[in-house]
Amino acid sequence: MTELLERISICVEFGKVDLKSPYPPALKDQQGAFELTRIALDSGVSPGVILEEALIPAMSRVGEKFSRNEIFVPQMLMAAKAMNSSMIHLRPFYLSGETRRKGTFIVGTVTGDLHDIGKNLVAMMIEGAGWEVIDLGVDVSTEKFIETADKYPGAVIGLSALLTTTMENMRKTVASLREIRHSMKILVGGAPVTPEFCVKIGADHYSPDPQGAVEFLKSIAQ
Amino acid sequence: MLPGVEALERAMGYLPGTAPEPVTELIQEVSEELVILDGVKAEYRIFSNIRLWPEDKTVEIEGVIFHVKPIIYSQITDTEEVALFICTAGPLVGEMSRRSMKEGDLLRGYVYDVIGSEVVECAADNMQDELKRAAGTRGMHITNRFSPGYCGWDVAEQHKLFSFFKDNFCDITLTPSALMNPVKSVSGLTGIGRNVRYTSYQCHKCDDNNCIYRNRKTKA
Repeated sequence: MTELLERISICVEFGKVDLKSPYPPALKDQQGAFELTRIALDSGVSPGVILEEALIPAMSRVGEKFSRNEIFVPQMLMAAKAMNSSMIHLRPFYLSGETRRKGTFIVGTVTGDLHDIGKNLVAMMIEGAGWEVIDLGVDVSTEKFIETADKYPGAVIGLSALLTTTMENMRKTVASLREIRHSMKILVGGAPVTPEFCVKIGADHYSPDPQGAVEFLKSIAQ
Repeated sequence: MLPGVEALERAMGYLPGTAPEPVTELIQEVSEELVILDGVKAEYRIFSNIRLWPEDKTVEIEGVIFHVKPIIYSQITDTEEVALFICTAGPLVGEMSRRSMKEGDLLRGYVYDVIGSEVVECAADNMQDELKRAAGTRGMHITNRFSPGYCGWDVAEQHKLFSFFKDNFCDITLTPSALMNPVKSVSGLTGIGRNVRYTSYQCHKCDDNNCIYRNRKTKA
């Protein structure tokens, strides 16, 4: 069984989605994350074990390699696609409540900002770390964040901004969220955002890359 | 106007020839799709009615004051004229990127996005070459180009800059948060004068470690 989980993990790490995927060449014509996850479930491996022992370690390795500049955004996206093909089989177990996630992460790009690549990467990495991700998209109003936070008590909020002008909207959103729920954990990121700005606006954590966001969530989930 | 595979690999962080096969294949596929990329445009206007204010590190163009901040100001102190410019890769590439992302094909969406960024930079380079040639015929030189949002210049000043292009043929519009539409567009200023010069970017003076232009090679 360990071997099967290792194979799933390798498929996710290197972006081998399914049997048809020609990449990586060493795995050509072999089953990918999609088929292997099905086989694992059918053999009685629990969805939680597949997540904990195959997907999370794989995405963690991907995040670490990205942080060390050993891989770049395209490979991260390929890994996320493979992870998603595995999640197709696992999602029903989460939806039914049979298997529990580590928590809920609500993410969006703040109002006035339409950039989403960085936010999408963070969302994918966090889903790969075992969290339920509620992606509100781009140009998200403060009201929308508040409304969603009300729906998911205990959720962690992630705010993204790529423009110096929209950093001001990030500040306003953090202030409004703090007003309604002081203890709510808020994570911020985006090219112009700095650790100093994070402290100044009263957010809990700033991460320059997706893996930092995952590590932060891991630290608060313990 | 479309950049080659190696240039795109570099823009994604790879050394030329080292991107994985699916990435290079996708670059080729998307490039073929975009081979006739309509809507790439650039426009500039040259202003000689300018004043430089060293105390505030500002430049005044026809009565409008731009707070360009110290890094940019230091590069344009000897400028006699200022060219304001806007460039765009057009709406198609941004729309294709958004659509692919929405459909869940994030890698394809990312490739469109990177191509769009490179195309608009290439358009700006060509405009800069034209500006350099035109300035040269008058015995003048040009500085680097500088954009709101970089080197400390507040992106909100893009609104002032666009007020000089009321009839802009590039068809770029601004959102209240100074976001350009089409998204793959750039705007900014270039100094022109007998004693100005083109330099490497002064990235060591700036604390924006995430800047997309950080240590980017300059095209003289």
